[in-house]
Amino acid sequence: MKLSLDIEKNIGTLSLEFKTDISGERIGIFGASGSGKTTLINLISGLLLPDKGAIILDGNTLFSKHQKINISPKKRRIAIIFQQAMLFPHLSVKTNLFYGYKRCRENNRIIKPDIMIDLLKLQPLLQRRVKHLSGGEKQRIALGRAVLANPHLLLMDEPLSALDDTLRFQIITYLKSVSTEFRIPYLFISHSITEMQLMTDQVLIINKGQLIEVTTSEKLAKNRMVNNPNGYVNFLRLANPVDQNGLFSYSWGNNNLLVSDGKLNAESLFELSSHDIVLFKKHPEAISARNLLECTVTEMFNSGTKIGIVLAVNGEKLVAEIVRAAANELDIAPNSQLFAAIKASSFRRLN
Amino acid sequence: MTDAMKKITILVFTLLTITVNAMAEELNLSVAASLKEVIKELSTNYTKKHPGTVLLNNFGSSGTLAGQIENGIPADLFIAANTEWMDYLNDKKLVVGTSKKTFAYNSLVFAGTSSKKVSSIKDLPKLEKIAIGNPKSVPAGEYAITAMKKSGVLTKLTGKLVMAKDVRECLMYAELGEVDGAFIYKTDALLAQKAKLLFVVPQELYPRVIYQIALTAKAAKNNEAKTFFAYLQGNEAKSILTKFGFSLK
Amino acid sequence: MQLTSEDIASIWLSLKVAVTATALSLPIGFATAWLIVFKKFRLKVLLEVLINLPLTLPPVVIGYFLLLLLGKQGWLGKLLAELHIHLLFTWKAAVIASVVVGFPLLVRSIRLGMESIDQQMLEASQTLGASWFDSLLTIIVPLSMKGILAGASLMFARSLGEFGATIIAAGNIPGKTQTIPLAIYDYASSPSSTPMALSLCLISVIISVFVLLLHELLSKKIDRSNGL
Repeated sequence: MKLSLDIEKNIGTLSLEFKTDISGERIGIFGASGSGKTTLINLISGLLLPDKGAIILDGNTLFSKHQKINISPKKRRIAIIFQQAMLFPHLSVKTNLFYGYKRCRENNRIIKPDIMIDLLKLQPLLQRRVKHLSGGEKQRIALGRAVLANPHLLLMDEPLSALDDTLRFQIITYLKSVSTEFRIPYLFISHSITEMQLMTDQVLIINKGQLIEVTTSEKLAKNRMVNNPNGYVNFLRLANPVDQNGLFSYSWGNNNLLVSDGKLNAESLFELSSHDIVLFKKHPEAISARNLLECTVTEMFNSGTKIGIVLAVNGEKLVAEIVRAAANELDIAPNSQLFAAIKASSFRRLN
Repeated sequence: MTDAMKKITILVFTLLTITVNAMAEELNLSVAASLKEVIKELSTNYTKKHPGTVLLNNFGSSGTLAGQIENGIPADLFIAANTEWMDYLNDKKLVVGTSKKTFAYNSLVFAGTSSKKVSSIKDLPKLEKIAIGNPKSVPAGEYAITAMKKSGVLTKLTGKLVMAKDVRECLMYAELGEVDGAFIYKTDALLAQKAKLLFVVPQELYPRVIYQIALTAKAAKNNEAKTFFAYLQGNEAKSILTKFGFSLK
Repeated sequence: MQLTSEDIASIWLSLKVAVTATALSLPIGFATAWLIVFKKFRLKVLLEVLINLPLTLPPVVIGYFLLLLLGKQGWLGKLLAELHIHLLFTWKAAVIASVVVGFPLLVRSIRLGMESIDQQMLEASQTLGASWFDSLLTIIVPLSMKGILAGASLMFARSLGEFGATIIAAGNIPGKTQTIPLAIYDYASSPSSTPMALSLCLISVIISVFVLLLHELLSKKIDRSNGL
């Protein structure tokens, strides 16, 4: 997907100016509330008219003040997933799902409804009434509805903010699988760094209507480590769980980890905060933490008053954080050999 | 209470007492609408000679006025455009029966702005809309219905009769041209500017229009009312009635 | 209960006028409400004031204006007379009086219904491929149906009770323009007609209760089908 934006819009107290060329499949738009994220989405989808400039998607001019072109939202084929699912309460779940599909020209209908319904496990929901659905169920239907409209681009405006943690990850899985399966690029808006890490590769940082920076979700997580209450969040894919005296033993690449909150007979994704990794210069004797990993420093970065340490652990990667004083004391530098201690309870299972 | 409030309260009470005193010199007259100009002029003349008296005039259809008196509206004198409504109040002892006198006579005519040829009551079915006072409460309307019935045209006029609340509203409809013509009194036709008198309703078709005047029961012992009553029977009243086209016999 | 044939005529006439006035006003009222809620344009405030004006004017004033406008002397009246259209002092004038007087109520109700629709709901439908007309039919109409129903009921009830503008613009013509309120007024002007007046009053109440009940029933039905 190639999106070329060169737009200006003054609305209320917000003065928005965006000039950039975006290309990729999973793009994030990161900013605080009031930074203009929703306005940007409305401009791209055609719901709001820019004061001047142009919007070009995959070579098609959607808007050009100069050439007096303005394609209506209905023709742009850019679907939006809102924070509140916005399902039509007076229509059945099935009608909701097929709302966009019905309005799509036959030769544009590439996505097969049956595959979509299977993928999102919507079959049991089809007979239900919209008002009886839970938040997560509604978002799944909203996702199905948006994708069945066969859009060129999917815009997601904080789709997970109204959901609780467990649900959030579930929907993330659905969002990514749909995007991969049907090859639909998306613009993902959020103010959550972990969501960015999981959903996007490239990130546009927006503040007060201005494009501040174009970066990657990885760099974003590193830069914001000090501001984030959870520090840098590491995502670990662990497999082959085995019960070991009340704890779970998992394999992590070539490593072995002991985890409190495990689940048998499944591969799971875990979160580990950079706060929860204690570093040792020398092999410590008799520690309470059940996990002690030998690792090598591959990279060091600054994040405010903290130092982020990127560690290589037998082919896997981990990011820890320490204060500057500790880094100096321990004389840590790239290629230093360290030991990382992690408590079994520090791992948070996502699925 | 603050000083200012005290002053205002005293002022208000003073004003009230003054008005209460003034009320003692007020006379309320309920008069049939067709006598509006006559009674207005007579009232003005009377108050010039009797500056202590205030005359309050209430004009309307005789039936409506009778209903108001029955319901307690302040009224000292009642002038009706027929004997029916006077008898109505008399039966209920709301007027002083012995004070009942004939005040004037009138006759019914048909006036309008219609361009159609209308020269007698038999021509009425030619018209689209005819205004009459509502016979339920307006004597002029009752007279008109009687006349139309007697001459056999009433059945041909269903849906064409516009009901007015009194004879003056009939005149208004006729003047505006919204109806082809209206049944009004000869005296009303004299005041018309645009409506022309099309024909006089033959007297044999309806009972004589008799205006009756009486003191209400409330005013039985009211000397002011009696004085004004006498004035209305006097020569000046008679000459003004004649001036406006009313008959005296 | 005594009812003369004239009374029965007035009941039919009242119903006829109310139904006609409501049916005529609905499409115009809906379009007006839609304009006000969903479109931005200069002088929108002027439109809103104009629509609400009849609410603040005494009905007799409205009746008088209609008389001036549509009468034989009025500019519109003269125009219509050329086309052999006479509106005053016919049941059509009664309809016009009801329409003018009830229109603000209708628009207000529909407006409220439309304003309760989440803007993002409409945005969703547009991005899913619905044209403005498609959105109107599939989203706006169903979701504002409650407001439309309330407006229609209000308009109907207001028309049944319309007196001031009607008596001036349509006059009191038994069989042609004498609606129930005018008939009751007739009886009220004449003492000794109390039982007749009461009979008609009772009928008036019965019709109003019926309209209110119907409104409640339909309202609940709409709620259910709208998933509320």
